Amino acid sequence: MSEYILELENITKEFPGVKALDNIQLKIRKGSVHGLMGENGAGKSTLMKIIFGIYTPDTGIIRFKGKELKVSGPKEAVKNGISMIHQELSPVPHMTVAENIFLGREFSFGKTGWVNNKKMVEESRRLFETLNINIDPTTKMKDLSIANMQMVEIATAVSYNADLIIMDEPTSAITDKEVEQLFGIIRSLQAKGVSIIYISHKMDEIFKICDELTVFRDGQYIGTKSAKEIDENTLIQMMVGREIKQVFHKEKAELLDVILSVKNLSRKGKFQNISFELRKGEILGIAGLMGAGRTEVIECIFGIDTPDTGEIYINGKKVKIKSPEDAIKNKIALLTEDRKLTGAFLPLSIRENMIISNINRFLKGGYINKRLVKEKCNEQVELLNIKTPHLDQLIMNLSGGNQQKVLLARWLLNDPDILILDEPTRGVDVGAKSEIHKLMSKLAQQGKAVIMISSEMPEILGMSDRIIVMHEGIKKGELGREEANQEKILEIAYH
Amino acid sequence: MNKRLMGLLAVFVLLAGMLAGCGSATTSGKDKNHIVIGAAMPVFDDKWLSYLYDGINQYDKAHKNVEVKMVDAKNDSSKQMSQVDTFITQGVDAIIINPVDTDAVEPMVNAANDANIPVIIVNRMPSKKVMKKIYAYVGSESLEAGTIQMKKVAELLGGKGDIGLMNGTLGQESVVKRTQGNKDVVKENPGMKIVREASADYQRSTGMTLMENWIQSGKHFDAIVANNDEMAIGAISALDEAGKRGNIIVAGIDGTIDALKYVKDGKLNVTAFQDANGQGKGAIEAAIDAVKGKKLKNKFINIPFQLVTKDNVDEFIKKWQK
Amino acid sequence: MGNPTSSTATAVNQGSERNLWKEKIGPFISKYGIVFVLLAMVIIMSFLSPSFLKTQNLLNIVRQISFIGIVGIGVTIVIITTGIDLSSGSVIALTSVMVASFAHPGNSLIISLLIGVGVGVACGAINGIISTKGKIPPFISTLGMMTAARGLALLYSDGRPIPNLSDPFMFLGRGVIAGIPVPIIIFALVGIVSHILLAKTKFGKYTYAIGGNVQAAKICGINVDRYLILIYIYAGLLSSIAGMLLTARVSVGQPSMGVSFELDAIAAAVIGGTSLAGGVGTIPGTIIGALIIGVLNNSLDLLGVSSYWQQILKGAIIVSAVLIDSRKNKKA
Repeated sequence: MSEYILELENITKEFPGVKALDNIQLKIRKGSVHGLMGENGAGKSTLMKIIFGIYTPDTGIIRFKGKELKVSGPKEAVKNGISMIHQELSPVPHMTVAENIFLGREFSFGKTGWVNNKKMVEESRRLFETLNINIDPTTKMKDLSIANMQMVEIATAVSYNADLIIMDEPTSAITDKEVEQLFGIIRSLQAKGVSIIYISHKMDEIFKICDELTVFRDGQYIGTKSAKEIDENTLIQMMVGREIKQVFHKEKAELLDVILSVKNLSRKGKFQNISFELRKGEILGIAGLMGAGRTEVIECIFGIDTPDTGEIYINGKKVKIKSPEDAIKNKIALLTEDRKLTGAFLPLSIRENMIISNINRFLKGGYINKRLVKEKCNEQVELLNIKTPHLDQLIMNLSGGNQQKVLLARWLLNDPDILILDEPTRGVDVGAKSEIHKLMSKLAQQGKAVIMISSEMPEILGMSDRIIVMHEGIKKGELGREEANQEKILEIAYH
Repeated sequence: MNKRLMGLLAVFVLLAGMLAGCGSATTSGKDKNHIVIGAAMPVFDDKWLSYLYDGINQYDKAHKNVEVKMVDAKNDSSKQMSQVDTFITQGVDAIIINPVDTDAVEPMVNAANDANIPVIIVNRMPSKKVMKKIYAYVGSESLEAGTIQMKKVAELLGGKGDIGLMNGTLGQESVVKRTQGNKDVVKENPGMKIVREASADYQRSTGMTLMENWIQSGKHFDAIVANNDEMAIGAISALDEAGKRGNIIVAGIDGTIDALKYVKDGKLNVTAFQDANGQGKGAIEAAIDAVKGKKLKNKFINIPFQLVTKDNVDEFIKKWQK
Repeated sequence: MGNPTSSTATAVNQGSERNLWKEKIGPFISKYGIVFVLLAMVIIMSFLSPSFLKTQNLLNIVRQISFIGIVGIGVTIVIITTGIDLSSGSVIALTSVMVASFAHPGNSLIISLLIGVGVGVACGAINGIISTKGKIPPFISTLGMMTAARGLALLYSDGRPIPNLSDPFMFLGRGVIAGIPVPIIIFALVGIVSHILLAKTKFGKYTYAIGGNVQAAKICGINVDRYLILIYIYAGLLSSIAGMLLTARVSVGQPSMGVSFELDAIAAAVIGGTSLAGGVGTIPGTIIGALIIGVLNNSLDLLGVSSYWQQILKGAIIVSAVLIDSRKNKKA
């Protein structure tokens, strides 16, 4: 048998109008952790879906454990010894953790079809014990935090005892503590000879855990390198095809008057006593772990939720914001955390996605003025460098980065004074990420006030003028740009 | 959680109250001077049947010692079954059933018989087996309606011509029987031919649509024979509008007030009057007889169909005016 | 994310002739597929029956579907928001008996029409308010309305037809202006107004947005409840317009009118490409859908096909249309 567990040769896959994968090669060594890198839309996810049997390639050969593999669906892939952690979580919310883990392969009493719940719970418990995960298998999925859901997903993938596990952005929703736990799991799997394909946008993770790295770009294979012999800059260069020197483009902006001031905001069970000020021209970062209450605070500022107590002042005037409608009238914009759930109108076009929150501006005698819409939208497409053939393209056909830019354009069309960005670069490729950062910096220079929530420490440190640290619903402290570093933030959060 | 519990409790209390109410009805039902009749009807939403219900209700109003409980099964057999069960629990003195489906009526009759409550079936004729178990069947032969209707059409056409048949809602018993009656007559007249047959759902608007399409098909018709008056009136409207009425004979069944007006105006040539009011009246009279213990010689109380043409239409119009 | 379309712009340029089918003709057919189905039916029928293409027959078809079409347009808008309206048929019946009881000779036509419109608006408003403020799925609230409005129609009319309508009122259903039946004219007006409303106005964009992603719609500052209520009112209004036209057409108010109309209307919308998943659907699509149902009924009557087969074919067409539609969506 060869030293490779998986060999892909000349894989090509075409979708209507797009060559998603062009003559791809990939070899995965037995017992190795193989990182897969590339911007969004490079073809990583498509390739993984081919390996997992969700898509069939147009041409090419897949060799698994030395034998040619032809799988027609995920079930067969699992049978052959491949399992996958999907990028997007797909839990059944009203079932228990145990039921979710054993979905489709429940234990039953003989052939009666009567499900043996007790055994499923026991097995789940054993599984969690070996993986050192602390979750009760009898809780309902919907009652778990997103991070814990992700851990269940990871445990599920491990439970198949597969020889190859594909992990598609497994850490997109978990905190540093759990990332460490995941790495522990990966290392022990590796020791047992299991191979892992690891897809992530996070450089530090990639270098920490991977043995080898393969880079894709625009559906093409660029190269494979040993993780030891390559540095971050070279890797980024391979990914984007050009050199990106500085990841964070923060230009200095003049700090002007206080535009927003939040006083003693509390919401029972979510956060208490939050106060802060925001100046024109400032980028205010809010750091904290998932579940720190950051999103909940801005939801109250934006009128999605109502605070129990506390006041909000804009330009020194007390305001009552009861709905997003009120917030928009007060010139606040909110780019939400979850693009698919609360941001994009997936079945609608880019044009419609852009104008929806500010339609009044495009009305002429009750009708939508097509010419004005086209003009303004094209302006945004150019400004944000959105890659699309035309404005009537459905937003669901865009890559994550471009989707995010469209949503950003939607809010920019409102010409807001206060921009709230919740995880603005999550799931966004390196190129788009730096473009979004540049834009944020430019907006601040124009005198806009920006609040940015981010779970990525470098982003917080790189972009913010000032940093608020939250932990478990409480504001733990504030740091200026110069004094802030990763250690200090963690220290404030935990003490 | 508490709210839900309170809600459940409230519903339970209400139900208990209703049951208690039913209980009191039971005791009063045993009193021979106060006769309670349960009337399980298939569907209130039917024009013709509403006249049948009138026949029952008029009797109810005219007799102080008679109380009728009339319920609507909404064309659902299983609902009708449970309604009959309720009557039995309430201890009514007799039950009148106009079956949603005559094939499904037997268990209802059995249940009533077990409780010694006499059953009168009205309007829709049950099977022979069921006939033995009931007190009486009050109705008119559907087959007969189709026969007399088509016989008159044949007479008007001189025994030959092209016929378009409009069926009611497919699958209903009256449609099958009336159409069968039609076809029996056509068979006897070699000069007559059915050139088109389709359903218009017993509805006027659908009859209109169907006739419009038939006119456009270019087929030649000497007569349009419909399973009920509503469709016939729809056909008349379509023919008039297209200016294609000519000498085409149009025939319906039921003899509704509307239809009788069309007959009087000479637009509807034939209808067969099924005496809805008479059936209702006959049914409740039979029910009272049953309660009083009167023995019947013949279980089939026939309320015959009568042929209506322009010549005798006035006497039927008077019937409605009563 | 699985679709790496960020490279679309460059990939399209490489499109050679062999991709012509895949990129141009294929999508064109799948986008306008339902029009081709209608055209194919028309062409086939024009060979099978010489009378099919006669002006009068074509006018008949359009008049026959104008009632379903008007209701279908309202239902389409509701379905785009991921809602449903099951009450259309019953609202038709309630409108029919209430209007018929006022529209006797000598009474004002305007008042009769206002009564009809009022019934539709009221029923729609109740549907909308119960669904939004009561947070009840529209399937349930309109199911309730379906039962209650029918019951009210029966109660009001005592289960009987209400004849003796005035000539001006009946003109709505039976009249002809410049050779075109009045119901067709009203259907066309409703179609045009609704299309403009949906395609060119804020109301329309909000409708699609609510159906596309209700959470996002709220965050974009859309008063979702208010628009949903308006949408259900509009659907109720169109049902009552159809009810009045139908009443005028058969010249009698009937509590049994419009039974299962809602299902035909939903079928027209779905055949026309409206997605029950929300966010997708057009008025022209629904009109084509209604035309397909109308042409099918008419053709089968012209050819003398038995009513049993008519039902089977209708069912098959509805399901095939949705099958085509779901494949189209998968490609996207």
